[in-house]
Amino acid sequence: MFRSTGILHRLIRCWWVGSLLSLAFAIGIGCAGKSVLAAEPGPKIYTANGRADSLSAETLREIFFMRLTSWPDGTPIRVFVLPDKHPLHVRFSKEILGVYPFQLRAAWDRLVFSGTGLTPHVVETVDEMLERVQVTPGGIGYVNK
Amino acid sequence: MTPVMRIITSRSIARPFLIAAGVFLSRGVPALDFSTIDWQLHGFASQGFTYTTSNQVFGASRGGSLDFTEVGVNGSVRLLPNLLFSVQGLYRNAGGSDREDFRLDFAQVDYNATLFDSALTLGVRAGRVKIPFGLYNDTRDVVWTRPSVILPQSIYFDTLGLRQAMIAADGGLLYSRYNWGNHRFNLEFMVADPQDDTGDATEFLTGIPDAPGMMEGRPLFLGRAVYEWMGGRARAMFSVVDLDRDFRSDTATVPSGNIQALYPLFSLQYNEERWSLTAEYGWVASQRSGFTPVPLESTSEGFYVQGEYRLNEDWSAVLRYDVFHADRDDRSGRSLAEQTGQARHRFYARDLAVGVRWEFVRNWLVAAEYHNVDGTAWLSPHDNSDLLQGGGDPHWDLFSVMLSFRF
Repeated sequence: MFRSTGILHRLIRCWWVGSLLSLAFAIGIGCAGKSVLAAEPGPKIYTANGRADSLSAETLREIFFMRLTSWPDGTPIRVFVLPDKHPLHVRFSKEILGVYPFQLRAAWDRLVFSGTGLTPHVVETVDEMLERVQVTPGGIGYVNK
Repeated sequence: MTPVMRIITSRSIARPFLIAAGVFLSRGVPALDFSTIDWQLHGFASQGFTYTTSNQVFGASRGGSLDFTEVGVNGSVRLLPNLLFSVQGLYRNAGGSDREDFRLDFAQVDYNATLFDSALTLGVRAGRVKIPFGLYNDTRDVVWTRPSVILPQSIYFDTLGLRQAMIAADGGLLYSRYNWGNHRFNLEFMVADPQDDTGDATEFLTGIPDAPGMMEGRPLFLGRAVYEWMGGRARAMFSVVDLDRDFRSDTATVPSGNIQALYPLFSLQYNEERWSLTAEYGWVASQRSGFTPVPLESTSEGFYVQGEYRLNEDWSAVLRYDVFHADRDDRSGRSLAEQTGQARHRFYARDLAVGVRWEFVRNWLVAAEYHNVDGTAWLSPHDNSDLLQGGGDPHWDLFSVMLSFRF
């Protein structure tokens, strides 16, 4: 009994220390990386009529996590994304939504296999993204700046 | 894009069905706009191989067992932006732990409304609904959504009969989500009839082997509160299930009785780009009355700490320490062993697991893991009949591989 509680305490302590250290580390990397990224063209949200241009990061996150499902006018939101590994998808997830691609994938998988939501449509290229978003009512995706 | 997804997204197959559905629905709902209907079809197929040095997990694993198969297909139709119907059929084989074969996993309708500039969502879900308990319960049969082939058994019993009552239930739930900047709050409350007449749930709950009779009584209550920061970068959760069921015996030789159980669970998770840290702690406080002259009360406990590391997009590794005590006031199992005449190792299990997973082609993965286990508390008595006769090996190793495809 004594032994197992001891292990638990030690593990929990390690866990907290690890979390704090990595948080500090991540903030450091985030600050250092910013100036490099600003020089390259980045991801930009895209809709056919520009209606998402002024949306906040939080609202975009709700849309791309497939939790917000209709536009203010009642049109269903149809989300388009590039494959998980596509460099633009990775940058869009991190820079616009502030999350990692694996978090999006995990959330979409949970929605689908618990029957509580739909997944985004996956397109293979940025050209296909442009084309599909333009012709789909309520479509939203992202392109290069 | 896979062929299946191409079919789904191009909707070439969907068109005739949608026209038929539109014609049908247009009689009752004249204003229904056709272009607002979306639908998707998804599924998964997983095959596991289990090998144990002693004791049996998911079939006769001492010689290597292939009795671990999970196949599911689901369809979802979004008739209106906030109205979703979904159904999933599941085939599952897990040796003596699951002999149900095909089952209706969920069949539900979900409706929600957003308020205050989309910051608040209120929703209702009804039908056969998945039980939203802890981090992994609602999609635990899909290897893609769990961290390892075998979930931490201290929290998610997979080899024991209680499993059937924890997966999905018939009833409804109310939910709310609230967003405030980078903070997200989620509340769920469920009232549903558990499937405790299925599988070995009755036997597990009553503690009577092959319990002849029916479970009835009050539906289960469940509540879950979730806090998320930065889209799930950090996540804290509290879930609780409150069960109060009556067992009505079919025969004069077996008494009827009542089972009450309260299962609170605390969950924490932190995600970074390369790694995730997860911990859950819970206990089951149960009381059985009517079966014995004096009511039986006990409180078990389970917890685990888990680290995941993503080497790149395709490879990840997991390390976990998972502990279960049948009685948290008797962690060594000594007094339970004296009371019941069973071996001490029946009342605890400490599992140190290490695993890797590799998504070798898009939508295909293989996961392998090794478990070093001390104790036999969560082993299935159906796969391990010798456990009830005082047998079983307290120190054992488990090796598991699973191949899975999804669409």
